Amino acid sequence: MADPIKLAYFMAVKEGASYLGGLLVTDTSGIPLDFRYTEPITPTRLQSILYGKSLEPHLKEEVIQKTLLKELKTPPDLFILSATELAGGWSGDAKYPVLAVQKSQESPLAKVGDTFRAGPRELLIQLSEGAAPLRAMFAASVDPAAQEQAVVKLLEAGYHMDLTEPLERVTAALQSLVVKDS
Amino acid sequence: MFGRVKDAMADAAETLRRAFAGLTVVEVAPEPFSPRSHGSAVLGVEGRAGLEPLASVCRDMRLLREAVEGQALQPFQADLRDESGWARWGAEAEVIRMTPLEGGRATRVAVPPLPRKAQVQGRIEPPARPATRRWTEPLSPPGARRMDPGLGSVEAEAGLDTMLSMAVPILAEDIHQLPKGLWMRYSLQLVRGTGVNVRNLEVIGLFRIPRKGVADLRHDPGKSRIFVRLEASAVRAPRAPFILARRKDDGALVSCYVEDP
Repeated sequence: MADPIKLAYFMAVKEGASYLGGLLVTDTSGIPLDFRYTEPITPTRLQSILYGKSLEPHLKEEVIQKTLLKELKTPPDLFILSATELAGGWSGDAKYPVLAVQKSQESPLAKVGDTFRAGPRELLIQLSEGAAPLRAMFAASVDPAAQEQAVVKLLEAGYHMDLTEPLERVTAALQSLVVKDS
Repeated sequence: MFGRVKDAMADAAETLRRAFAGLTVVEVAPEPFSPRSHGSAVLGVEGRAGLEPLASVCRDMRLLREAVEGQALQPFQADLRDESGWARWGAEAEVIRMTPLEGGRATRVAVPPLPRKAQVQGRIEPPARPATRRWTEPLSPPGARRMDPGLGSVEAEAGLDTMLSMAVPILAEDIHQLPKGLWMRYSLQLVRGTGVNVRNLEVIGLFRIPRKGVADLRHDPGKSRIFVRLEASAVRAPRAPFILARRKDDGALVSCYVEDP
């Protein structure tokens, strides 16, 4: 029997002057298998001045993300992050297929399981009957062959779960942790 | 003709005779000559500031008017001009007529003596020289501080309990996509598990959820999904098909796990 597919959802948020991130690993039903989060990092004023605009990307990619990935016992099959993070030029670890998933407004494809390549790094995937297809955007490090393999896993997981929902859960969990700490 | 001329001469002579017939000689006494004397203005000494700066006045030289700095090294061009001295003398000479001196009475005017020494005004006192002070204490070098701008390492915490406290949405599988034999098997198990007649059951959905550790379950009819709240034991528990159905007679929800073949 093949190993069950593991999806890793990464989200980093800024709460006040602090940054914190969380990594949720789920099975193909969206049930949590592991969840790690970082302590809130509050850059000093000097650090904010010295890092300038690179502060936030550096914190999210180099500090938060790498710390969380080191904590994973088994590598995920897919590394999913928000479309905003991916569009900002994700440059993290390329050991796993990195992608963002987003609900689209496109008209449904012919049948469940159909895909449509909207760009070199963008695919539309029909996950359920009559619904709008899911938009999958891959990082530059994911070649077309790896994209196709990732689509197969997305189809399998999308049969049981809403692939975009766990990111909302991670965000809500991080916000609840900030409230709990304060 | 000569008669007419003679008459005319006679008329003229008569006219002249009449015109000067009434003249009388009036003797005018000569006006006595009265010389007037004028006093000389008193000499005054006007003091002026002796240290007034020299003011140079730039005057325009007509012959060098066209010269510019950039042409300073150019050789002078001799310009031969013809000028007649006599003509110029004639043109510019001015005849001054001296009024004849008039004799008059002399008046003694006391002339104030000239000052022996001119008074200097506006003398500027020489500026006092600043006193020189010596600063012997050297400036101490500033202390350099080092501050690592690195953001340091961050600790990761395990938060699975936090995540499990949140409801997990699980979508229903499309039962029409299942093999017919498998669905018949599931239906039989549903009837056995719930004790409800199959004709009285309306299947809501088939979900794959953990076999144990499900603490709470809610149905979301709008999106054909259920929300499950899990316990820690649910993470490692095997997933099993779970059928949620509604009794047609009273609308109550019934459910049971079914076994995969």
